[in-house]
Amino acid sequence: MKTLLEFKSLTKHFGRIAALNRVDFSVEPGQIMALLGPNGAGKSTLFGCLLGLLRPSAGEILLREHSIAPADRMKFGYLPERITLYPQRSVWDNGIFFARLKNYPREELERQLKRVGLYAVADRPVRQLSKGMLQRLGLAIALCGQPELLVLDEPFNGLDPALLDGLQKILREENDRGATLLISTHTMSAIEPLGTHAAILLQGELAASGTLDELRTAQGENSLEAVYHRIARRTAAREEVRA
Amino acid sequence: MKQIWAIASKEFNDRLRSGWVVACALVWLGAIALTSLFGLVQIGRIGLQGYDRTVVSLLNLVQYLVPLLGLLLGHDLLVSEREERTLALILAGGVTRARALAGKFIGGGFALALPLALGFVIAGAAIGLSAKDKAIGSFFMLAISGLMLGVIFLGVGLLISTLCRTRVQALVCALLTWCVAVFAFDLVAMGIVVTANSNQATREIEQATDATHVTSIADMHNAFESGDEQATRITAVRSQKVAAWLALNPVDLFRAVNLPPAANVTVPVPLATLSIAAWLLGALGCASWKLHRIDL
Repeated sequence: MKTLLEFKSLTKHFGRIAALNRVDFSVEPGQIMALLGPNGAGKSTLFGCLLGLLRPSAGEILLREHSIAPADRMKFGYLPERITLYPQRSVWDNGIFFARLKNYPREELERQLKRVGLYAVADRPVRQLSKGMLQRLGLAIALCGQPELLVLDEPFNGLDPALLDGLQKILREENDRGATLLISTHTMSAIEPLGTHAAILLQGELAASGTLDELRTAQGENSLEAVYHRIARRTAAREEVRA
Repeated sequence: MKQIWAIASKEFNDRLRSGWVVACALVWLGAIALTSLFGLVQIGRIGLQGYDRTVVSLLNLVQYLVPLLGLLLGHDLLVSEREERTLALILAGGVTRARALAGKFIGGGFALALPLALGFVIAGAAIGLSAKDKAIGSFFMLAISGLMLGVIFLGVGLLISTLCRTRVQALVCALLTWCVAVFAFDLVAMGIVVTANSNQATREIEQATDATHVTSIADMHNAFESGDEQATRITAVRSQKVAAWLALNPVDLFRAVNLPPAANVTVPVPLATLSIAAWLLGALGCASWKLHRIDL
């Protein structure tokens, strides 16, 4: 089976700041890849390049060994970190607009709204939704049309335990039906029971990547959080020496 | 095509819901009614006149108000979605930037054209019924060229919307553009010519741009009143050299194509078409070029 995504020497500069510096890793079909790193590590920048929102300064991203065309992104589902929809419009109107852009029928949106528990408030204006409900609406929009790749930017932020549990269940179901998940997060306790692979970005560079078991064994740690902190400390020490 | 239509219909519906379309229709209808009724007040008369007279009265209104409406609508089309980050969500779903731009332009075009067309149709019907005038040609030309003027400035507004980072910036740029197009263009252009050319050229330009001045409206009404076509000609003695000058600015071009025949200002159709196409394609082309280079 062909590799789903390949990031090849991906580099993105904003002026003189390198948000991403020669990042190389790949994502195989069916993986749940956790993208870990502190604020400003380049996780959202990497997603921006993948989704065509940012132009890479160098390098490329391949989808099944080919450059990504805009039409390929119709099969992506994307949940941004800060979900901002059209506040005056209702839940349904927002959903149907994005469903129409991807040419999905109303029934598909209806199904996804029921799945995330928002169908009962479909007539409510988005401005009246709580942060958790807005997050779920964004998820419903991302899930429309059974995307082959789900790109989720900090999906666990600000969720209460019940919502977190519900989100993890949905993401597992998506993975079970064959979707590949690329999830950036700080909440390692939430991704650890879910993820199969992880890539750690530090200061725009790839510090480590592999299966969760490989990373834990290589670092001699029991949890993903401990692995992450160990690698972050080591990288910081190396940077100090270099400086 | 479905994506373009989805974006266009959402844009139009948003404007309809926000009350923009209704407010624009009311302002436009009110302005057109007042101008049609009181357009002759400069020569001491009140009341609806025939199509030709009404066209002369409406020239200033259309040339000031329609570009402003186009710019006010256009400047907000993309920059607001950028600020709210909804544009990123649209583009992440596989919509190309060119399609997003086209959808926005078409949706904005409908939101602008509907109230304008409504105003022209109602005013046209009222004039036809009250003045028993059947020579609707000049009024029809005013309506079509007025709509085209609005669409051109909608395109310019959309370009401003892609160039600016915030809504406030875009609004300021839109208002400045309006001032330049409606007021400053003639003055600046005349200044350049005066600086660069002889007194003879200056006199020619003064005569040529006289047709685009507000004060000439009263002279034209007087000419209608007296039946003396020569009086109208006196307002501006023009030559064909004027045409190229007027085609540079869509506002002047609009005015030139709607002046009464006696004013003796003719812009060749190919030149007018070229000017309209250049403005529209130029604005949309530049907007597309810029949008493709924006990091969201």
